[in-house]
Amino acid sequence: MPQVVYVDPSGFRRSVDADAGDTVMTAAVRNGVPGIVGECGGHISCATCHVWLRPEYVDLSGEIGDMEEDLLDLGVAERRQTSRLGCQVVITDELDGLTVDVPPPA
Amino acid sequence: MLRPEINELLTETGPGTPMGELFRHYWLPALLAEELPEDDGAPVRVKILSERLIAFRDTSGRYGLMDEFCAHRGVSLWFARNEENGLRCPYHGWKYDVTGQCLEVPSEPEASNFCANVKLKSYPLVKVGDILWTYLGDPESQPPLPEYEFVHVPESQTYTSKRWQESNWLQALEGGIDSSHVSFLHSGQLNTDPLFKGSRGNDYNKGDLKPYFEVTDTPGGLFIGARRNAEEGHYYWRITPWVMPSFTMVPPRADHPVHGHIWVPIDDENCWVYTFDYHPVRPLSDDERSAMRAGHGVHSENIPGTYRPMANKDNDYLMDREAQKRNEHYSGVKGIAIQDASLQESMGPIVDRTKERLVATDTGIIKARQKLRKAVIALTDDGVVPPGVDPEHHRVRSVSVVLPHDVAFMEATAEDASVRPGVAQTTV
Repeated sequence: MPQVVYVDPSGFRRSVDADAGDTVMTAAVRNGVPGIVGECGGHISCATCHVWLRPEYVDLSGEIGDMEEDLLDLGVAERRQTSRLGCQVVITDELDGLTVDVPPPA
Repeated sequence: MLRPEINELLTETGPGTPMGELFRHYWLPALLAEELPEDDGAPVRVKILSERLIAFRDTSGRYGLMDEFCAHRGVSLWFARNEENGLRCPYHGWKYDVTGQCLEVPSEPEASNFCANVKLKSYPLVKVGDILWTYLGDPESQPPLPEYEFVHVPESQTYTSKRWQESNWLQALEGGIDSSHVSFLHSGQLNTDPLFKGSRGNDYNKGDLKPYFEVTDTPGGLFIGARRNAEEGHYYWRITPWVMPSFTMVPPRADHPVHGHIWVPIDDENCWVYTFDYHPVRPLSDDERSAMRAGHGVHSENIPGTYRPMANKDNDYLMDREAQKRNEHYSGVKGIAIQDASLQESMGPIVDRTKERLVATDTGIIKARQKLRKAVIALTDDGVVPPGVDPEHHRVRSVSVVLPHDVAFMEATAEDASVRPGVAQTTV
């Protein structure tokens, strides 16, 4: 069972068990991780599941889609090189230990 | 949410702003031709992109659009005498031609050549269809005139009105590319409005409140496809073209004339909504034309002698709670145009998009904002001519069509979504 680690703005680490097929957003919402809302349910329209991936996971996390690209440009407070929408990062066994930073509230 | 700096970037269009520079690459409607009906008639104040201008038609029938204020001491030339091929300021008699050139300063000595050195800022003003268009940009980059179909069909086939909207242009445009609200806000009108009723599409509109949006990029803007369930195995598609910066067309219903809008910033808190209706292959009937004049369809009933709607924010848009209860008007406000205006004005002059919460049906809005933003950046950083400047981009149509589930709307409707002279619109 892959684990995902969510690091909050104070540096506190929350480790969550995910199922393969979960996304960074669904695993967070199910486990009540603060700062990841997933308001639109994963339809790539709200950008309330924005995270910064730790760099070592970027290559394993898949390509950024067209709509995701738009929302990262328009709808998040601080886009960084490693920004992703959590709903678009599907968790696989390879991604076990995936660590993401949760941005502070806007 | 939209980042605050992007909200500012997209909504501010005055001189020197990035979006203002973008708008200054296009021909824009400045007035309806009916506002300057005769030679030597009354001059008309025009405010556009936060610039205050005066429009007039001289003795020879030439149109002029120039700085509203006399170069002498700043008097508004709205008070001017329109005579002998020029506007004459009534204060001290200074006279200007349609190019803004000062022709006479009568108080100066006869040998004086003072007036030759006085010229007001001026812009071209050209009649195409029922609209007088202007171009506020660098004369060297002036593009060819607009080629939208509604201004090129015979006069008998087209009708244009306008209304003042007390909000920023962008929240008005965003209403125009959001097919989703039709099933709610305008549901009371679909089967009763004389310019809407009798279309099979109305039933699909009312029967499926969860449209799925698919947006395709085009050279001039976007095609925004809204898909709703139709008969088994089929979808009803409504395809709305958006041509940058602010032209949209509403997908047609039955054989009714096809309508659309151009939103033109007056300043950052007001815009003009130019609203057209045309039929590609037949004259508008007398009934259709009188319905449009009476404010049916997407037009508005305005206070006589003005372009302000009768129902406006000072009278709460003549809200009728009983009609709301009866579902005659879903919001209680009468008329499609005023239903839109009332809600878009209620957001405030410039809606704070950092607080909004977008959902799946807002895909078209997200895509349009991103396209505008990218065009502004490309123009500012690299001088790239924005989409929609080339008149070839204007030759689009809206489409409504029922397609089998496995057919992609853009491929199936590529021809229907382009102007085809002599061929009727594709409609359900």
